[in-house]
Amino acid sequence: MSFRQALESGKFVVTAEVGPPKGTDIATMLHDMDLLKGKVDAVNVTDNQSAVMRICSLAVCKLALEKGLEPILQMTCRDRNRIALQADLLGANVLGIKNVLCMTGDHVSAGDQKGAKPVYDVESVQLLQIVEKLNNGKDMSDIELKGATDFYQGAVVTPEASPLEPQLMKFAKKVKAGAHFFQTQAVYNLEHFKEFMSHARKYPVKVMAGLVVLKSVGMAKFLNNFVPGIKVPDELINELKDAGKEKALETGLNITARQIKQLKDEKICDGVHIMAIGMEDKVPLILERAGLI
Amino acid sequence: MIITKQKEKDKLQKCLDKYNSFYLVGCSECASLCGTGSEEALKKMEEELKASGKTVTGVFMPKTACQTLGTKVELKKEKDKIESAEAIVAMSCGAGTQTAVELYPNKPVVPSNDTMFLGNMTRFQMFDERCSMCGECVIDQTGGICPVTNCPKGLLNGPCGGMKDGKCEVSAEINCAWVRIYERQKNIGELSQMEEIIPAKDWSKKQGPHSYVAKETKKDKETKK
Repeated sequence: MSFRQALESGKFVVTAEVGPPKGTDIATMLHDMDLLKGKVDAVNVTDNQSAVMRICSLAVCKLALEKGLEPILQMTCRDRNRIALQADLLGANVLGIKNVLCMTGDHVSAGDQKGAKPVYDVESVQLLQIVEKLNNGKDMSDIELKGATDFYQGAVVTPEASPLEPQLMKFAKKVKAGAHFFQTQAVYNLEHFKEFMSHARKYPVKVMAGLVVLKSVGMAKFLNNFVPGIKVPDELINELKDAGKEKALETGLNITARQIKQLKDEKICDGVHIMAIGMEDKVPLILERAGLI
Repeated sequence: MIITKQKEKDKLQKCLDKYNSFYLVGCSECASLCGTGSEEALKKMEEELKASGKTVTGVFMPKTACQTLGTKVELKKEKDKIESAEAIVAMSCGAGTQTAVELYPNKPVVPSNDTMFLGNMTRFQMFDERCSMCGECVIDQTGGICPVTNCPKGLLNGPCGGMKDGKCEVSAEINCAWVRIYERQKNIGELSQMEEIIPAKDWSKKQGPHSYVAKETKKDKETKK
């Protein structure tokens, strides 16, 4: 069953994030992909995440396909103008990549090529419109394509954004622009997330909760202080603290597993997107503990 | 107004070192407000040049340096002083500087300023960018606040995921343009405008070099008839 079929069938879907390395040594990444095979519905391949230059998303999506994993091409508007975006989308589609996640992209100033010229010729909402057009056999300038694409396009949303209302208004625009599914920024407070979902459920889209595994108290505090749209509640920080330094990671894995189970059992959303950030090899363990495999 | 600041000392000095005598031209518009082409700035430049053993053959404050014709007329009487200088120091924006370049084809022109942006003086000599001159204004749809300029990504359809408590991911010094737009639209009762998707911009309108004729010429009018 494809990722699209899985989501649309009502199955509780699991995706995991794969971050391409910076350099040509892909051994670890390929090994992690092997571990994920058969355990997740699809893998998201990040696009120069945090504006740090790495192997491009498109190439790694192709490698994932060859491994028998279904890729979700993350595509940001930071590095390419509308010509390059459309060309890459056509290229991805003919290589068999059928899912695309449309994002604006972290600003160049966050990354490791600070002198780069940020592009943002279009942004996430407009990129969704472009994908919709390509699917309908036309490019952005309404020129007929020799063969349409067949993408299943999604977008991102930040349920813990503060203030929230402008973010919700943008969410609605993304739905209008053609997004079929959403993968959220990391959520930790499931009560807050339920409130967000009661809003999101008014729209005909699938929503997957983003989960970032907590490795330590320090990481949780870092997320709270420096990462926009992420709020780790005190009780989770205390849980990590009580576990002690040596057992913090173990506790973090358990928290993620417990949350997946709750999200699924209470039918809060349509799936989860696990961002393990360097611990992709732990994803199968999390899924086991969550009772999904 | 066009915001300018004086070039870095070393870079400016390198340009000035090449010549022994100068004629100085300021501008009584933006560069005066910025303090980069004001009477005071001209005087300071004159003193510094003289102190370093250079000659200043004359100093002039045109009304509007970027108004080529007017400046040409104003500078007529300065002809000899300009001729006797090896180079002109233009203390205005890039446009005013190029007036001097156009008027004196055989004279080197040293720009004393870097031209930064189009903005407002919000307090005395404190400037904030307001307009990117994109050629196709969208602020009728954004509560009068320009997202092309005020959002580092120039986003047209709402805040990105990098917004944190109303601040921008690029710098906590920057208020998120889309939170500002949201608040203003709410205040003026036009929040529903934020529900409409703003299409991608036509960047060909930004593509220079631009030329523009505001007034119809006699010939234009005749062709229309």
